[in-house]
Amino acid sequence: MLEHFHVPEEDQVRVRRDDLERTTAAIFGAMGMPAEDAALAADGLVTADIRGCETHGVSNMLRNYVKTFGEGQINPTPDWKITRETSAVATIEADGSHGLVMCPKAMDIAIEKAKEVGIGAVTIHNSRHAGMMAYHAMRAMPHDMIGYAITGGGAVMVPTYGAVPRVGAVPHAWAVPADKMPPFVLDISSSAVAANKIQLLRRTGAQLLPGLLADEKGTPIMEEQDVPAETRLLPWGSTRELGSHKGYGMAVIGQVFSGILSAGLFGVSNPPGNGSQFVAAFSIDAFRDVSEFKQSMDEFLTYLVETPPAPGHDHVYYAGLPEHEETLVRERDGIPLHREVVEWFDSETDELKLERLVRAN
Amino acid sequence: MLEHFHVPPEDEVRIMPDALRFTVNELFLKMGLSERDAWQATDVLLLSDTRGVDTHGVSNMLRNYMESFAAGFINPNPNWTITRETATTANVDCDRGLGITVIPQVMELAIEKARETGIGAITMGNGRHAGMIAYHAMMAIPHDMIGYAITAGGQSMLPTFGAEPRLAPNPHAWAVPADKEPPFVLDISSSSVAANKIQLLRRMKSMTIPGLIADDKGNPIMDEREIPDYTWILPNGGTRELGSHKGYGMSAVAQVFGGILSDGAFGAYERGHMSHFVAAYSIEAFTDVARFKKSMDEFLKYLRETPPAPGHDRVFYAGLPEHEESIDRHERGIPLHREVIDWFDQTTAEFNMAPLERAEGQ
Repeated sequence: MLEHFHVPEEDQVRVRRDDLERTTAAIFGAMGMPAEDAALAADGLVTADIRGCETHGVSNMLRNYVKTFGEGQINPTPDWKITRETSAVATIEADGSHGLVMCPKAMDIAIEKAKEVGIGAVTIHNSRHAGMMAYHAMRAMPHDMIGYAITGGGAVMVPTYGAVPRVGAVPHAWAVPADKMPPFVLDISSSAVAANKIQLLRRTGAQLLPGLLADEKGTPIMEEQDVPAETRLLPWGSTRELGSHKGYGMAVIGQVFSGILSAGLFGVSNPPGNGSQFVAAFSIDAFRDVSEFKQSMDEFLTYLVETPPAPGHDHVYYAGLPEHEETLVRERDGIPLHREVVEWFDSETDELKLERLVRAN
Repeated sequence: MLEHFHVPPEDEVRIMPDALRFTVNELFLKMGLSERDAWQATDVLLLSDTRGVDTHGVSNMLRNYMESFAAGFINPNPNWTITRETATTANVDCDRGLGITVIPQVMELAIEKARETGIGAITMGNGRHAGMIAYHAMMAIPHDMIGYAITAGGQSMLPTFGAEPRLAPNPHAWAVPADKEPPFVLDISSSSVAANKIQLLRRMKSMTIPGLIADDKGNPIMDEREIPDYTWILPNGGTRELGSHKGYGMSAVAQVFGGILSDGAFGAYERGHMSHFVAAYSIEAFTDVARFKKSMDEFLKYLRETPPAPGHDRVFYAGLPEHEESIDRHERGIPLHREVIDWFDQTTAEFNMAPLERAEGQ
């Protein structure tokens, strides 16, 4: 994540992964989730924090989840069903499941299918927010598979040339195992910036960079200015000249695989908070010898990180490498949460009569 | 395609699709392709030209293919083979065959697998140029399937923060059928601009557009200036702040599904070497087909009915402009640049063939 979006040092409170996961699971449990599901959802959420993707970690998401549980939008004990199935694919009606519970379970089904026939793909509807999509894609890696995950829903992004938002910032995530190199994990929204990051900018009082949002008429804001009151995301590429039709297109195709393929859902036809997802697993062995593949991945990723850097840069990365390095740092030093987030945890746990979040030494 | 890149009206000569099809097919036969392969290769080029994707039509590609055949970089009669296979997947060695003849045959195999199991996906190594990959993805549409195609290979694009090109602007294409609405067809390179468009800008003495290319040291050019002699292509997004890591990542994913998954190809490789990947997803396996297509109609209509932003008349979706262009070009002919017509005339003369027939009144 860009420096611009980090929590300032003086506002940081560090917590250990295990402690954060325990408190988060306890809060999910208090929302009515069975213990196993609460632990699964907490693992997904805190994995975002440990990798430095705090936009999708506890800071932004947990209070949002608590609020929507409170409003009855998320079903803590869903009776989800497979409504159609072949050897390689399935469609799931999620009965209002939390996406952080439904997606890992759907991915496990996809993985089982991929073990049998080479590929497994599952489309899901009537679930809720799914957290960091990389988490679901990464679930395929220990099985020597490539994972793919999409979540659709919402209308926060303007189509290219459009004045009003009609698509979500639909992210696509791929996770590819290597041998010795940290895995390639790409998790990209189809907008120029994640809506969550705009929220973060507002919290930290930072300026809006050009090319991220449209103004209230739909015109791309191409100069630095204060963050506007209304968030109208531009597609990845910002303007047509710079390729915004690519981000717009990625959002549409993501919506097709999740919402349209599962239940015909898009834009306004989506009830508030309703999410739809698509997960797939590709067994490497079904295409090529696994150890040869991983060897090739190591060579490819090494080749990329060894690219001579451009002036002003020390390193060239690949997707998943900064997150891997951040994980090592945060496993050692703890996860830096904003003071305001820790205060929220305390008031929440007090209210729910749970143990307070433990701070790192 | 942006207005910026169109053939200027004073330089265009219109050719009807059937006339172009006839001459291109003859030329492929002269290259030693079988009748079936010549038809297939011609069909791919013609679809590019009728849909207005001039970068991948006859103008740029045909002479390139002919030179590569002559130099022996492409095998005109490939014996492509399946090296590994499951119910849903396969790995194909393309035997240096031209992508526009081999990939459609492989896509047919993926469609067969999808009919059986719900999904078919095939990786291809040792291939050559794929043409407009939307063609391969679109093959799934008449079978009520969603098509997907990738091609990867070469090095012309910088990784984010990099000073040396280590990837290509590897494109991904998806094709999704609707009922009454023209299909959704997205075919996007992972760079902010196609390499041959920079050549075009240079020829037209245009200025740089900020965020499209980097200078010879790898610095993204963020102002308007004359196109430098040496430039590198940036990933889509331009800079890290605007999401160039997404274009860089999309390119790497394409290299994984094409190159790494088939035979491990990436980076500097044999000249003209390309890897591909195609997939077909049967809609029937997930949901009712009629219901899906109706939903697509509603969704696509919802998108194109978005109120336009100031300065714009309409909002499109991917595939809609190409559909409209295709109707226009079938009526009025395909506008080729005079220079391209000259090349055709010279080439057909060399082969003692009839010259390319012009549209009426040209």
